[in-house]
Amino acid sequence: MIQTLAFYIFASLVIASAVMVIMSRNPVHSVLWLIVAFFNAAGLMVLVGAEFIAMLLVIVYVGAVAVLFLFVVMMLDIDFAELRAGFVKNFPLGLAIALVLLAEMVMGLGAYKAGGMQLGTPDGTAAAAVGASNIKAIGALLYSKYLFLFESAGIILLVAMIGAIVLTHRQRGDTRGQVISRQVARRPEEATVNTQPEVGKGVQL
Amino acid sequence: MESLVVDLSQYLPILIFLVIALALSAAFVFLPMGVARLTGTHKPDAEKLSEYECGFPAFEDPRSQFDVRFYLVAILFIVFDLEAAFLFPWAVSLDMTGWPGWITMMVFLFELAIGLAYAWKKGALEWE
Repeated sequence: MIQTLAFYIFASLVIASAVMVIMSRNPVHSVLWLIVAFFNAAGLMVLVGAEFIAMLLVIVYVGAVAVLFLFVVMMLDIDFAELRAGFVKNFPLGLAIALVLLAEMVMGLGAYKAGGMQLGTPDGTAAAAVGASNIKAIGALLYSKYLFLFESAGIILLVAMIGAIVLTHRQRGDTRGQVISRQVARRPEEATVNTQPEVGKGVQL
Repeated sequence: MESLVVDLSQYLPILIFLVIALALSAAFVFLPMGVARLTGTHKPDAEKLSEYECGFPAFEDPRSQFDVRFYLVAILFIVFDLEAAFLFPWAVSLDMTGWPGWITMMVFLFELAIGLAYAWKKGALEWE
């Protein structure tokens, strides 16, 4: 009873905040609504028993991905009036992409219902738990059966890291950077000098 | 919803924490407002309601463009955040995956160590 109630609360909040993401005029507000959607999706994940995924949603998506989105929104110099003016012109393209996504979802769901994938049973109940807890079951599958997928995830992360560095990193010549070795090598005796200037005379530096 | 495997009552402490946090933050926001109204100090005027920015008038949009270096830091943070996230299920399931699981994770860590070495060598971790 209380779970059904919680499910409907979380689900309707996810949908409402997802609608707000695309409806709000300010892109920063869109990102904030996206964070609300992530939190409610985490609540849904807890309800179906995928606790680790729920924690990942909060830690990775809310903590990191949403911040990245905010950076991207802040970095782009967008003219919002101009952006909205292209709505009618780009509408067929957007519709086509939405249809492709819908077809993919239908096909994926069909494949899942046909029982070709060993993720769970088609009637929605979870597969037999391998470990005692959810996180243990994930670990037992991910690091034995889906080992190559895991390693390719690592390769993808490496590529993302190197790609970001190649794209955005550039040496600035005009800044005075910190040279740590020179800082560490500096000694008090060469840094300070004791002088006893006479009255009325200055100090020669 | 009958086939739940989680015992949701374990989340009761989190719910209690959430309620307390909500109540406290609401009190911090609304208590001063209420006190100001009750004691008669609530007299807003145009000067009081305008933004305050270190004494001089706010003259530009808060949405200014960032340096792209912040983005690089955020990307690197996400990559290592995910790496840490992968470590948790590995650590608790090591008794079931055994040596293959251990070697897998070491290869994964080596891949990301290559990335870290590259970032370090390129000076991407430095803030000029």
